[in-house]
Amino acid sequence: MIDVQQLTHVYPGGKGIFDLDFTVREGEVFGYLGPNGAGKTTTIRNIMGFVNARKGRVTIRGLDCRRDTAAVQKFIGYLPGEIAFFDNMKGLEFLKFVGDMHGMANTRLRDSLIDRFELDASGSIRKMSKGMKQKLGIIAAFMHDPEVYILDEPTGGLDPFMQNVFMDLIRQEKARGKTIMLSSHIFDEVQRSCDRAGIIRDGRLAAIEDVKSLNAMKSREFIVTLATKKDTQNLLASGLETQKLDEKKVLVRVARNFDDFIRTLSAYNLANLDIRQRSLEDIFMNYYGKKGNGHE
Amino acid sequence: MNKTLFFASLKANWKLLLGTFLVLAMYQSVIIGMYDPESVEAMKAMIEAFPEGMMSAFGYDLPANDLTGHMGTYLYGFLMLVFPLMYVVPAGNNLMAKHVDRGSMAYLLGTPNTRIRIARTQAVFFVSSTLLLFFSVVLFGMLMSESLFPGELIYGDYLLLNLVTVAVYMVLCGIAFLASCTFNESRGSIMAGLGIPGAFLIFKMMSAASDQLEGLKYATLFSLIDVPRIFEHSGYALLTSGILIAVSVLLFVLAIRIFNKRGLNI
Repeated sequence: MIDVQQLTHVYPGGKGIFDLDFTVREGEVFGYLGPNGAGKTTTIRNIMGFVNARKGRVTIRGLDCRRDTAAVQKFIGYLPGEIAFFDNMKGLEFLKFVGDMHGMANTRLRDSLIDRFELDASGSIRKMSKGMKQKLGIIAAFMHDPEVYILDEPTGGLDPFMQNVFMDLIRQEKARGKTIMLSSHIFDEVQRSCDRAGIIRDGRLAAIEDVKSLNAMKSREFIVTLATKKDTQNLLASGLETQKLDEKKVLVRVARNFDDFIRTLSAYNLANLDIRQRSLEDIFMNYYGKKGNGHE
Repeated sequence: MNKTLFFASLKANWKLLLGTFLVLAMYQSVIIGMYDPESVEAMKAMIEAFPEGMMSAFGYDLPANDLTGHMGTYLYGFLMLVFPLMYVVPAGNNLMAKHVDRGSMAYLLGTPNTRIRIARTQAVFFVSSTLLLFFSVVLFGMLMSESLFPGELIYGDYLLLNLVTVAVYMVLCGIAFLASCTFNESRGSIMAGLGIPGAFLIFKMMSAASDQLEGLKYATLFSLIDVPRIFEHSGYALLTSGILIAVSVLLFVLAIRIFNKRGLNI
């Protein structure tokens, strides 16, 4: 469906994207995962036909995204990463405007999305919070019922409840046969919503994986705070993959042996149990055994 | 042309347009109101009382023997040249560069409209709104003249004078639009859109104020609004306007082409 072919786009200063080659298949949810500054938005700008690539190209259904932009936009729903609207407009007025620009006749889907995201679209865009603007952007991308979605960091600014509403929407659209590409710097988000993920670092595609195999590779890290030093010693000797942080704190890495982990812990007095938030770079280190060149 | 976008641009810019019209209408009223057939001599005496260069800089040194001449001197020497910029410069920037700078252009290009169609619509809006501004001001000037000094205004002169002024402004619109289509940031677009007409204005004032700097009149479009030559009815006004409008069309075509070709970081 979306074919990225040897796409190279270099900014003055040397950053950019280099020889990207991947395909988003019809009917799949494709996660485009990478840390900030890796080149996600640059790739999307090329898909949207906003910029001129130095080399390579992107096609959607065989149409060249830079040359046949207007034709491609007929079946694309796009959510920009940075939200900027026409700030002299009210929310609903903006949706009407974008709908008219799309030649959209039916407003039923739009209104149902407004209800679904519980957006009060009557107010001025200028006075909206970041979350409200994000909802407005999502509605604008989905309301004309396109076949392909290009979503740049779609959950930014949404609270956890609204993130779930959004994930439901993604699942529903996938069930309706839509093709979805969403970019994210959050591993769990991609894991929850996508079939496959392309991982980009420093402008190069590091891997394309089925999300299932990413899950298999993924381990969790827990920080266990114990009540006594003796328990600490025992936990370190328990056979789990552990690392001593201090007298009473132990880091435990759990891949698939969650049962063992819980059973072992039940023998001790715990003061606290925390899941350690892991950055994308950590996950990379685990999976690919190589470190990035300097981001974050 | 995209009607939806046209009306959205109208909605975003009508206050600016109306405000500029009110300022120009106010000056039309004041200057026309100041006309007094009895005291043309007194005005001349007053002008002579000021240092020579200073009044010349504003174009207030032409003999004004009738109402049309009076307007040509006091309105089209400075006021009608500078105040339409109040609309043209910000509107030119709003229509293209501001959308690119802020990122809202992504929403325009994310719809099934080609870049050429978007840019052409904005260009049509820009030209037609500027024409509406001048048309309204000219009409207002006529009504004002007829109500205060019935039968005094020489329509042929007045219309030719405005034709050349509008034609100069079409080129200034073209420059502002070209800047707006070329720059990624509002700052660059406004600096070029305001800076070039601003320089034209300063050159005109300097060339009029001092004999040594007279040569600067060749470096400014505003010296084409040459009131005595326009009133000669020699074909100067039509020829000049024709050339200016052709230049303006070229600028707009170039602007749209540049916008179509370039990369937009939105």
